[in-house]
Amino acid sequence: MRSLLTQKMKQFKDPFEAAFEEQQEDSPPESPSPADDFSTQPSVPPTEAANPEDDELNAPPSSVLFPSPTAAAATKNKEEEDEDVEDNMEVELSKLPSGGDPDKMAKMQAILSQFTEEQMNRYESFRRSGFQKATMKRLLTSITGSQKVSMPMTIVMSGIAKMFVGELVETARIVMTERKESGPIRPCHIREAYRRLKLEGKVPKRTVPRLFR
Amino acid sequence: MNPASSVALAKSKPGTSQSSENTTKRKRGIFQKELQHMMYGFGDDPNPLPETVALVEDIVVEYVTDFAHKAQEIGSKRGKLSVEDFMYLVRKDPAKLNRCKELLSMQEELKQARKAFDVDEEKLAANID
Repeated sequence: MRSLLTQKMKQFKDPFEAAFEEQQEDSPPESPSPADDFSTQPSVPPTEAANPEDDELNAPPSSVLFPSPTAAAATKNKEEEDEDVEDNMEVELSKLPSGGDPDKMAKMQAILSQFTEEQMNRYESFRRSGFQKATMKRLLTSITGSQKVSMPMTIVMSGIAKMFVGELVETARIVMTERKESGPIRPCHIREAYRRLKLEGKVPKRTVPRLFR
Repeated sequence: MNPASSVALAKSKPGTSQSSENTTKRKRGIFQKELQHMMYGFGDDPNPLPETVALVEDIVVEYVTDFAHKAQEIGSKRGKLSVEDFMYLVRKDPAKLNRCKELLSMQEELKQARKAFDVDEEKLAANID
């Protein structure tokens, strides 16, 4: 049964994931060649583990996908120490967000095939990272003071929070280039980025002033 | 400007929950590990500075708090809090709005797939026996 499940899960591999994993493992005979069958998204029995679901839900939409890789790529033009992060080329990504749009997928393929190893690592972190559902749920429950925090709420909040972190980090990087600084992001950059985001109205304003900070 | 100290790194916040299970103290670094990966993915160093991560965590928790409170205000007019309230709050931000819709539809698909799988499992079991 498990093997059937894992075989079915492999149907959901992205083309770029397939490109890197082809060398590492053989596709099981039943599942179609991962690079081809993407015109439809057949319903696939997922495993019971929470992790595959987390990874699927971490796939970003194409509207975020294109700005982010270019922003990430732009930051790599600076002279960063090329640290050898673990050589993990396996990008565990499921459904492509464009939903089988061949044009977008072709573009993604073209971009991803040209990634350097460092870019690929960064992209993998970008796709895979996310807030733990349990932690977010606990936080939301304690904020709303009610028990009625549903799973969709947790998922949506995690997604929104992740995008907010992205805005913070990207704005902080912009601040750094303006100040002509390099290296890891420091708190002062984040604070400046936060201030700018507030001016842009991207941060919800407190209707009640915050006490007991 | 003092690096990390001007932002209050208070270990406790006023408890809003009455449940005995929920602690009223906010522990340090509840999102620390995930945030490190996330910040790297978005353009930071592979090893972000700990004070930066702590600051981002504070900001994110404050963001989620304010966001949830606003959603509650909106939701209270309708009765109870729902996902729609979250989506209303990001209506002006197309990227976030699309992402929310996408996440919800993916979750729905997964639910359907799981249901279909349960049905298949039963058929399979019935056929084997």
